[in-house]
Amino acid sequence: MPETVIKLENVWKIYQLGKIDLPVLSGVSLEVKLGSFVTIMGPSGSGKSTLMYLIGLLDVPTKGKVYLDGKDVSNFSENMLAKIRGQKIGFVFQQFNLLPNLTALENVMMPMIFQGMPENERQERAKKLLASFDMEKRSHHKPNELSGGEQQRVAIARSLANDPEIIVADEPTGNLDSGTGKIIMDALTKLHKEQKKTIIVVTHDPTIADYSENIVHIRDGQIIKNHFQEAKVLW
Amino acid sequence: MLKEYFKVAIKSLRARRLRSWLTILGVVIGVFLIVSLMSLSEGIKTAIMQQLKMMGKDLIMIFPGEITDMATMMGGGLELTENDMGAIKKAEGVETIVPLNYKAEAIRHEGRVKTILINGVSWKDGMDILKNDFGWSLKEGDWPAIGKKEIIVGSAVPTDVFPGMMVGDEAVINGRKFIVSGILKSLGNKQDDSTVTVDLDIFKDITGEKRGAKFVLARVKNGYEVDEVVENIKRNLLETRKRVRGLDSPSFSVLSSEKVMDIVGSILGMIQIAIFGFASIAIVVGGVGIMNTMYTSVRERTKEIGIMKAIGAKNSAINTIFLIESGFFGLFGGLGGMVLGLGLAKAVEFAVKTTGGLYLQASITPQLIIFSLGFSFLVGCISGFLPARQASKLKPVDALRYE
Repeated sequence: MPETVIKLENVWKIYQLGKIDLPVLSGVSLEVKLGSFVTIMGPSGSGKSTLMYLIGLLDVPTKGKVYLDGKDVSNFSENMLAKIRGQKIGFVFQQFNLLPNLTALENVMMPMIFQGMPENERQERAKKLLASFDMEKRSHHKPNELSGGEQQRVAIARSLANDPEIIVADEPTGNLDSGTGKIIMDALTKLHKEQKKTIIVVTHDPTIADYSENIVHIRDGQIIKNHFQEAKVLW
Repeated sequence: MLKEYFKVAIKSLRARRLRSWLTILGVVIGVFLIVSLMSLSEGIKTAIMQQLKMMGKDLIMIFPGEITDMATMMGGGLELTENDMGAIKKAEGVETIVPLNYKAEAIRHEGRVKTILINGVSWKDGMDILKNDFGWSLKEGDWPAIGKKEIIVGSAVPTDVFPGMMVGDEAVINGRKFIVSGILKSLGNKQDDSTVTVDLDIFKDITGEKRGAKFVLARVKNGYEVDEVVENIKRNLLETRKRVRGLDSPSFSVLSSEKVMDIVGSILGMIQIAIFGFASIAIVVGGVGIMNTMYTSVRERTKEIGIMKAIGAKNSAINTIFLIESGFFGLFGGLGGMVLGLGLAKAVEFAVKTTGGLYLQASITPQLIIFSLGFSFLVGCISGFLPARQASKLKPVDALRYE
């Protein structure tokens, strides 16, 4: 039985809109095993993004507990969370979210800078990562000189910068055509298969969900179905 | 690490080139003002103080009018009378007195007529004081002989006023002929260098001003305290005036040369403080510009801040990056302002030297350079403090969702 890497225990996220409390997540409990490929599915407004932010330690719950590697991180300070994020979690976003003033190579090096890695080491690693996504020729281009698919490949390379255990991808193919989307999903799948990374994908697209073995359906801030399947897409 | 943050900061400044330059320009103007005005005013102060320093410590100056009422004293046409001079001479501790007088008169030389200031000084009593305390020395010719119709001219007279005038030339003042016996070395400023000096007796003769003096110098006898003699002169003058004219107010000023230096020094110092104050306001305005730019930048880059936080940037990293940016505005603006300010100061120095006036040397000290750079950098950092803090305190989730 693989160990649990992320565990959410009766997690609530409540936003205050004036005097009204708006619960976005109402008592969500979830376990993610190390090395699994999980898809969180739900329509827009279901709370799936909020769930993703909590899993990625980008936000803290209003109530309930979030465990990472068995440690309760729900009361950690922002600085401690930043450190853990930098080391253990890589992010891939729908909007790619590369820093616009930096080249592809510099973008991939950024997370390593925040971890204090020496320059020659991080440069070498960033080049290797870009090469593994066939991006070495574009490494000195800025994001606005790259296509969507290229940007997303740089973003995946960046997410791997500090060799994290977990990759959290928020609608990673949402801004891409289906052909490019497949390339991106294949890349994520490869990471899961070859490097045993824990992949958590948030999407509303059932064809994306078919890449994973564990699908979590969320609606109105609650998990309505959490089931395992044989991944339909063969990899 | 800091090096990397610096690179990131510079890249984002370059991405907003026009705005960055405009922000820097705001600082440049302030530092430019401080550097140019401070170096010039310090130069003026040095030039004036150097002239004053040549005076002996045993000299006392007596002016008509009160020192607190500058306008009346300088332009009021007040004079010290013969009675006043007698009183000064009789005061205990006074060795000699030298009355000085001056008046503008028309002078003719080789067909050209110009009106310039003529000084009347008693050669007999005053020559030593002029040579030793006022630094008068001859460039050419000889000092005039007492009793002869001879004049000495300032260094600018043969160059600017009557070009080509030479020792031995004839000059006519009010119909009387004089021989130029000597040409002085420069006295340090153009006004003094453009005057003609004659013996007091001749001065009285040609100007018709037989009595009185604009200004009296008294030398203290050996063994007397200067301050004590100043008091003696004051007392004597007051008594004389009471007796002769029934006046009870001391409408004269008796100052030792040290006191004169103090007064002039403090006036110039006050002017400098005022200049400094106004110029500092300009730098502060530049700082407000930096703050404005930084707040705009934080808002524009909210999403970028969110991304950096997501990939592991701590609050302190964000804070540092933004502080580097604002500090850079300050420092770079300071550098630009300093270069322009020093350029202007040197240009003014050059212009003044070639066109006349004070012999000014712009004072460019390491302190001024360090201060202006340090001050502008500090203003940059202070202006960036709040925006940087705001940026670093953003919650990653809010920053990422910001569109």
